[in-house]
Amino acid sequence: MKKSRSVRLVLLGSASAALAACDNGGALPTNAQFYPTVNECIADLDAATCADAKAVADRTQAVEAPRFGQKEQCEQEFGVGNCETRQAAGSSFFMPMMMGYMMGNMMGGGRFSQPVYRGPNSTAVMPSGGRLLNVGRFDTLGAGRAAFRPAAQITPVSRGGFGSTAMNYRAAGG
Amino acid sequence: MQRLPVTPRADWRAHVERDLGFAFHTIDGSAYWDETACYRLTSAEVDAIEAATGELEQMALALVDRVVQTGEQDLERLHIPRVAWEAIAASWHSQEKNLYGRFDLAYRGEGPPKLLEYNADTPTALFEAAVVQWDWLQATSPERDQFNSIHERLIEAWANFGIGAKRVDFAAVRNHAEDIGTIEYLRDTAIQAKLETARIAIEDIGWDGQSFRDLDDRPIDVLFKLYPWEWLVGEEFGQHLLSGAAQVIEPAWKMVLSNKAALALLWEMAPDHPNLLPAFLEPGHIAGNVVRKPIYSREGANIQVLDSGRVVAETDGGYGAEGFVYQAHVEMPAFDGNYPVIGSWVIASRPSGIGIREDTTPITRDTSRFVPHFFE
Repeated sequence: MKKSRSVRLVLLGSASAALAACDNGGALPTNAQFYPTVNECIADLDAATCADAKAVADRTQAVEAPRFGQKEQCEQEFGVGNCETRQAAGSSFFMPMMMGYMMGNMMGGGRFSQPVYRGPNSTAVMPSGGRLLNVGRFDTLGAGRAAFRPAAQITPVSRGGFGSTAMNYRAAGG
Repeated sequence: MQRLPVTPRADWRAHVERDLGFAFHTIDGSAYWDETACYRLTSAEVDAIEAATGELEQMALALVDRVVQTGEQDLERLHIPRVAWEAIAASWHSQEKNLYGRFDLAYRGEGPPKLLEYNADTPTALFEAAVVQWDWLQATSPERDQFNSIHERLIEAWANFGIGAKRVDFAAVRNHAEDIGTIEYLRDTAIQAKLETARIAIEDIGWDGQSFRDLDDRPIDVLFKLYPWEWLVGEEFGQHLLSGAAQVIEPAWKMVLSNKAALALLWEMAPDHPNLLPAFLEPGHIAGNVVRKPIYSREGANIQVLDSGRVVAETDGGYGAEGFVYQAHVEMPAFDGNYPVIGSWVIASRPSGIGIREDTTPITRDTSRFVPHFFE
């Protein structure tokens, strides 16, 4: 037999139409600030505001952070060493480790506070609108410490450096 | 080898769109997927194609090794831009893996299959071969066999690639349905091999000074590009690709094989090999009809058939600036006025199946139709 025993599609075809939809999520308010702990926050704001925001972020992590049965599954998504174990209702699971929290003023008033996790490749990710938004990077400082660098301070990404030749031709594949 | 007229499935358009996600069965109003006919091959013919394909792939890999060893002299004859030489050698020495390639063969069921050209870098017509013709056979005569384990081999190849937890970003030109269909199919097989994947338009790839970035500014560590290497290296971000900022599939060493000057170097390395046609970088070496092909070209563009220097057939296009290769003309097999070319696939360098495209002229173009096959 020289033909495939079975040909199953997971992305193309009827089973997968729902996967195509995907939006880019919300953008981060420009005044947002990252704090690893309440102590750093108190330098900028009053203690009660800082503690409240931390409590909101802690609760969001506990309730909304993705949960994984196996450490490996969590690390595949968030990177090796970036997951912690938790227990709830007698069972244990893994979730991304909270590196601190991001707080700021929302457009149209009100304050937001969200947990910030360490993602793969030293990225800093924050839940936003049902998905994880890349908000910056954690640069390793040694001895297990990490410094947050907001996305705005990272060299702006330039685009359009590929694809110009294709305009002269009908197809890139053949 | 025979061409048989067959009755198309009554609802095939709706079926392939809905169940297979096959969006480009009709291109610019003309049929591309064509199940009004099929090719019947014998088991011996399939064996001949499979053996020839395996041998051609081994010769191709030997040629890469030879070119990397020889260096400047061969690389210049291949018209490979100097900026890419180091990356080609580095990718070969570090044994970077390759995923796939398609040998286009002239074969009529007798005599050895002859290599017309090797699409080593950006071959398409993959989904049609791997999935759509398989699905056609299962629906019409499931008891029959087909030279086609492309799907299984792709999943196996991804699993063996050593990519691990890294995400693979699949890039093609924006708004090209056929190319996007091809990368979406490849993504499908990568997902089945448990890889994390994403899709991006080649135009949207970002560069932050250290690494390539997707539209969410996530780093791109592994890039599958359905976009020719020789184009990439000439564009603004090409230098970053050559300096190894991402693992690229196909690897840089495929540049040795993806240009048609390689046909002349293959002939030089293995003269009189039964699966090769005489090919030279200069005119005048071949008696009889000659086909002149641009060193870089796609989809049958800018081909001339010459009889003692006189043009007897020609296609247009925008290629040819880098020069030409001259290949002995082979009489293409004709079945009821159709000229089939056998696209013989290697997946991770293993012969894995065929897809037959036919045209109403002896030069296969982007107007060709894909016709399914079976063997017994």
